[in-house]
Amino acid sequence: MKRKFVAAAGVAMVATLALAACSASPAAEPAEPGGPVTLSVSGWSIATTPEFQLLADGFEEKYPEVTVELKEYDPVNYNTLLTADLAAGSGPDIITQKEVKFVSTYQEGGQLLDVSDVKLPEGIGGTEAYDIDGASYAVPYRQDSWVVYYNKALFDEAGVEYPDGSWTWDDYADLESELSTALSAKPAFGGYQHSWQSTVQGFANAQTPKADILSGDFGHLEDYYNRVLGMQDDGGQVDFNTRNANQLTYQGEFGKQKAAMLPMGSWYVATLIAQQASGEADDFEWGVAPSPQYDKKTTGTDNVPVTFGDPTGLGINAAIGDDKEQAAKDFLAYAASEEAAQALAAIGITPALLNDDVVETYFSVDGSPTDELSKFAISTHKTLPENPTSSKTAAIQGILMDLHTAVMSESEPIESAIKTAEDRVKNEVGLD
Amino acid sequence: MATTTATDVAGTDVAAGPSPSLRRRRSRLARRNALVGWSFILPNFVGFAALTLVPIVVLFYMSMTNWNVFGTANWVGLDNFQRLVGDGSFRIALFNTLYYSVLHIPLTFAVALGLALLLNSKLRGVAFFRTAAFFPYITSIVAIAIVWNLLFSPDYGPINEVLRAFGLENPPGWLTSSDWAMPAVVIVSTWRDMGYYMILFLAGLQTVPRELHEAARMDGANALQRFFNVTMPSLRPTTFFVTVMLTINSFKIFDLILVMTEGGPGQSTLVLSQFIYTKGFEESQFGYASAASVALFFLCITVTVAQFLANKRRSA
Amino acid sequence: MTGLMVPVEDVRGLRKLADSTPPKHRPRAGTPLRRAGRVAGYAVLIIAALGLFTPFIWMVISSLKTSNEVFSVPVTWFPEIFVWNNYVEIWTKSDMLTWIRNTMFLSVVVTFLQVLTGSFAAYGFARIRFPGRDALFLVYIGTIAVPWQSYMIPQFILMSELKVSNTLWSIVLLQAFGAFGVFLMKQYYETIPEELSEAARLDGLSEYGIWRRIMLPLSVPALASLALLTFVNTWNDYLGPLIYLRDPNLWTVQLGLKSFVSNLFDTNYALLFAGLTISVIPIAIIFLVGQKYFVEGLATSGMKG
Repeated sequence: MKRKFVAAAGVAMVATLALAACSASPAAEPAEPGGPVTLSVSGWSIATTPEFQLLADGFEEKYPEVTVELKEYDPVNYNTLLTADLAAGSGPDIITQKEVKFVSTYQEGGQLLDVSDVKLPEGIGGTEAYDIDGASYAVPYRQDSWVVYYNKALFDEAGVEYPDGSWTWDDYADLESELSTALSAKPAFGGYQHSWQSTVQGFANAQTPKADILSGDFGHLEDYYNRVLGMQDDGGQVDFNTRNANQLTYQGEFGKQKAAMLPMGSWYVATLIAQQASGEADDFEWGVAPSPQYDKKTTGTDNVPVTFGDPTGLGINAAIGDDKEQAAKDFLAYAASEEAAQALAAIGITPALLNDDVVETYFSVDGSPTDELSKFAISTHKTLPENPTSSKTAAIQGILMDLHTAVMSESEPIESAIKTAEDRVKNEVGLD
Repeated sequence: MATTTATDVAGTDVAAGPSPSLRRRRSRLARRNALVGWSFILPNFVGFAALTLVPIVVLFYMSMTNWNVFGTANWVGLDNFQRLVGDGSFRIALFNTLYYSVLHIPLTFAVALGLALLLNSKLRGVAFFRTAAFFPYITSIVAIAIVWNLLFSPDYGPINEVLRAFGLENPPGWLTSSDWAMPAVVIVSTWRDMGYYMILFLAGLQTVPRELHEAARMDGANALQRFFNVTMPSLRPTTFFVTVMLTINSFKIFDLILVMTEGGPGQSTLVLSQFIYTKGFEESQFGYASAASVALFFLCITVTVAQFLANKRRSA
Repeated sequence: MTGLMVPVEDVRGLRKLADSTPPKHRPRAGTPLRRAGRVAGYAVLIIAALGLFTPFIWMVISSLKTSNEVFSVPVTWFPEIFVWNNYVEIWTKSDMLTWIRNTMFLSVVVTFLQVLTGSFAAYGFARIRFPGRDALFLVYIGTIAVPWQSYMIPQFILMSELKVSNTLWSIVLLQAFGAFGVFLMKQYYETIPEELSEAARLDGLSEYGIWRRIMLPLSVPALASLALLTFVNTWNDYLGPLIYLRDPNLWTVQLGLKSFVSNLFDTNYALLFAGLTISVIPIAIIFLVGQKYFVEGLATSGMKG
């Protein structure tokens, strides 16, 4: 009898839960019209990612009736935690989009409000990442892109000319091996390439004409991988296996002058400045050069170099409620504005809006490089999204990640790894 | 006297009683037993049912929907399971999980039991070694992954240095080679888990009656014979427990793989739990991920029931 | 053992240690060969212990390096200067004390509940036969087989509905009623001779009395190992607290440490390892103090007294 009761109670709980799971939209707390509004905004590592506080403060100053409350999440598990909160109906009002590959998940799950009517300044980059079926679901405020960092002191020591922005990847490979030879006594390598798949595939996907990972055709990766494997073999850089076995960090390798060049995203500018100031990184002069190119057509400072990167944006929780919706949209408009861009640039962050004034501010930060090429590299580029907005992107990137580790560890030759990846996309993800 | 397993308070054959009055008495006894039994189980069961069982029942339901965590979950019947059968990655994950388990289960079992026998004594300093054997289990998994990665480093790692010193010209690439990555993971997981299972064995060894050993010794049984004829039979409930837990935990292996290889190189160490996590949290296919969990559940439960039955027969 | 209703002699006889200690009537062989063997045995044990401690030792040494020194080629096993400051920094700049307090609370409460309800339920499974018992037991074991990540979200929704997420109770509820303790204790109870309970039953002891007065005292090694393993698992759990404890005042050591270091510009592994070293100390102490209970049940220690 007791058992029956327990079973019945169990069934009742399942039913409640299923209901809760299916109708996870929270009842919006009614606020008095025109009264004070509190907006919660999701963020991560708030102590060292000052952009959230900066945007909140700037916005509150302009809109005194609105209070912005930051909701901090773990940076590594940001998406998992946010998913849990949204599923339980306790998500934030404004959902910061840390990774573009999850935007379509939130959108398809009905979690994001259409924000097409938020007014954006002329020339802002990265908006296309948030366009789905002709509507806009988030607003970019930050746009990082990949460049090459180089250590001027090591270049001087090796007696090699600084980069001038006219390089292709073949030039880069030659230069790396030249530097490695010249610096072998130190010892330092010509370059350091981090273990992420972006360091090869990001460039290959963005720069190879007509390449598109969503097409399921990955033949264009072959040249890029062959070149990188060659660079490993001739000792121009630490090889992938050693890098993983020793868990090398790019901050340690470049910051401690163990490599003269480093392809990396523009977020590292602020980190390097901070680490040099704190003594965690050595004190040396460095510069930023545009990414090496696929061929000569896009090299040189009179062209626009092609690189890749994903924007960071702000979306609005679809369950926000009418009383807060306007304030949330105001917040998005503010974050994308030139005013906010100026403030962001002043703390070393690359805003989505990069006009001349903003670039000026960006390079006025103490400790940043001052040469012309660095300014060119940061301000002038055609940045293609690393993760095209599609519900298939996450799965395809997962498959390409497997390709990357298989090829870089030299446990599978590139031709067969590409074949494997293409077959897997066909079977496991499906093509349109 | 051997350690007997439970002879129960009363029989269960309620219907088979010979006379009506006896049957009534038996059924009354059976009801009383059920009440007493449930009263013991209930305090744990309430928490267990509400917080573990209910979500798992929901998971079973979700495995037959296209749930993506948000919004509605539409019924798709067995589509997810059909898709699993044709999914190459799932097959690889299943194979790798079984491969891992086949290596890890006997190895850990043997090492843990050996350690427990060795450390179940009052030798001087044995407390220190017991602590040492348990230390891998409490050391941060991050540190474990980092240090073993260094030890396994193909070109500079101490393990390959030693192998080269013994004349092996091409030592394995360990974590960087698709053939050797899984054995390397097994070595680390065995190293990590043996202290855990050693403790369970130690507790079990306390139930082995010493008189039996003495008697066997008098009869001239050597150490090996005593082990198989005295220790092992008395240890049976513990070995059953360890085997079941070891099996289930091996099928569920996740954290160590995640910090050591992330499933790589390629898919050479992709395991089921990781497949489930990726499908769910990376690709937001929670319905499909749930189906994979259900498959893993049935795999575990099949093996467990087999062990359960084998154990029953042996101890009967 | 005051309340034990059966002759103490019986219990003692059954519970004696296995044959690892040589019986007294046998003359101890003191030949040089024996001694050499013993020395060799210890040497092997010490080398093995070194292998077991290596990652921990490496972690302690790394905790004394600067962050960019932790990973490098070739590996630097010893830092040039010992950076004791890492310990000062992690202790003063983080809420280590709060985290330890929270973790201690969780570990103690969870261990207590797990051992209590687990051993109680185990008696029902081990010693009382009723219809559906084996099926129910299989359900218990079956749930262990389901990876937590896969039902994490339904569980989180449920806990949020119950308004316990983001409280320490969520972790207590999460960990305290697992099937592990029930299973472990049931197996152990099955090794305890039924004759003891039978005798007690004749003396008029109820089933609850048997559990309390006979089973519990006789299962000290199993209770000790269950308590230790539960304590360690709760102490080291990361994913559970990560999902449920959002308020920094509720963080556990593992969660707090990871958040603290990832909140620096980049993960500072030297600091992380300093914190992790601190976090291992309580467990190491508990183990060292408690380990004798795994091999000395109450009965055997009674024998000595």
